Amino acid sequence: MNLVKDLYNYRELLKTNIKKDVGGKYKNSVLGVLWSFINPLLQIAVYALVFQVILKSDIDNYTVYLCCGLIPWQYFSSVVLRGAATIIDNGNIIKKVYFPREILPISVVTSEGVNFLISTIIILGFVIFGGIGLSWNVLWYFLIFAIQFIVSIGVSFIVSSLTVYFRDLQHLLGIFIQLLFYATPIVYAISSVPAGLQWIVKINPMSYLIEGYRAIFYNKTMPDFQELLIALAMGIVLCIIGYFIFKKLEKKFAEEL
Amino acid sequence: MAKEENRIIVEHVYKSFDIYMDKANSLKEKLLFWNRNKKEKREVLKDINLTIKNGEAVGLIGVNGSGKSTLLKLMTKIIYPNKGKITTNGKLTSLLELGAGFHPDFSGRENIYFNASIFGLTKKQIDERLDNIIEFSELGAYIDNPVRTYSSGMYMRLAFAVAINVDADILLVDEVLAVGDQHFQEKCIAKMKELKEQGKTMVFVTHSLGTVKDFCNRAIWLNQGEIQMDGEPEPVIDAYLKATT
Repeated sequence: MNLVKDLYNYRELLKTNIKKDVGGKYKNSVLGVLWSFINPLLQIAVYALVFQVILKSDIDNYTVYLCCGLIPWQYFSSVVLRGAATIIDNGNIIKKVYFPREILPISVVTSEGVNFLISTIIILGFVIFGGIGLSWNVLWYFLIFAIQFIVSIGVSFIVSSLTVYFRDLQHLLGIFIQLLFYATPIVYAISSVPAGLQWIVKINPMSYLIEGYRAIFYNKTMPDFQELLIALAMGIVLCIIGYFIFKKLEKKFAEEL
Repeated sequence: MAKEENRIIVEHVYKSFDIYMDKANSLKEKLLFWNRNKKEKREVLKDINLTIKNGEAVGLIGVNGSGKSTLLKLMTKIIYPNKGKITTNGKLTSLLELGAGFHPDFSGRENIYFNASIFGLTKKQIDERLDNIIEFSELGAYIDNPVRTYSSGMYMRLAFAVAINVDADILLVDEVLAVGDQHFQEKCIAKMKELKEQGKTMVFVTHSLGTVKDFCNRAIWLNQGEIQMDGEPEPVIDAYLKATT
């Protein structure tokens, strides 16, 4: 409960921090916020080339299929990578002023969330112009997004505080995220995973979320609520564990940085 | 608020830092040199007890390494004691090292919002104070330039202008007036006197004994992590000078 009160008292800091993150990211680049579009589009192009043209995936409308998974995945991976760096990057503020430290990971998750909302335009573009069209089911997007937000908060609490004590984590996470990318049904369908390896996909909350996004955009159906519930439960557990770790470790942030 | 309200209560506070001889920071070093990770505990503060009342202006004095800055950092909750408890009542602002929380690519004006929000002000409260802050900083037209183009003096003026205008009940200042030209220093002292008259509580860490004598109504002399003397500025400073020279 203290966290809610703190966040309310420091809401202006949270707001300016998010604005700084969203606006500051591309502040000195010529193309500015356009990078939010170019970057994922280029990635889609690369993966589409490899998996559709070279490896000849048998999924219909592969580019659209891919894009429904890749864009949410990019949100997740930036949360992990930027979350891991956020305490260290803000070291000079942490060493000088008191403020609730939780604000830092929370604003990473929120500002990346804003970027994700913007990039969702790409999914919409592909769905509409890729011959699939829209259904009312896309409104479930906000529910799935909310669950992904909760999962991301939990994960960012853990990675941001651990990295302070264990700097290698930043580099390890880069590799880990790449592995996890292939352990999540983004470039392939979950049904093509051999039964013996299914558990790897199933312990990953992002699998359920990406399946959810895909259901509403690509299949135009309702998401599987049972799967979303599992992801939500995982998210809540991650938040509780993450918050506990963060609170335990934050007391020595200023000394370790 | 009652006059005799206690603003800062420090009870049996101990603080020690781990000094690593050869710190293993990375995985490789941790695995290879797991037994080499020697550390030494250095006690910086030992059983500190003090109560600072509303409206007091306290000067913390002592030689380098006596624990003054550590005590101040503990009061701001940037670091935490190993043992003991520190309670503060009321809104607290600190000016430890200057420029805390400035984002180099953002303009002075944007940084005012950012920095003031670190001290817990809302947008509306900052809007109301914005003109005062800019005027006090004497930055004029430079306020809309990115902070990375500022000179160190300009940087400091902006930081001080923000810290002093956030209307905190408690102001903690660590040896910052040393920077800045004569004119601005005098202006800062005058402003702090004004705040003192308004009944704000202030704690300084300083080596400028003249300022303590002139400005504070209480001085605390820290020696090797312990309170050596606590009382009226004059006798404390005299005793301190006698011991160190």
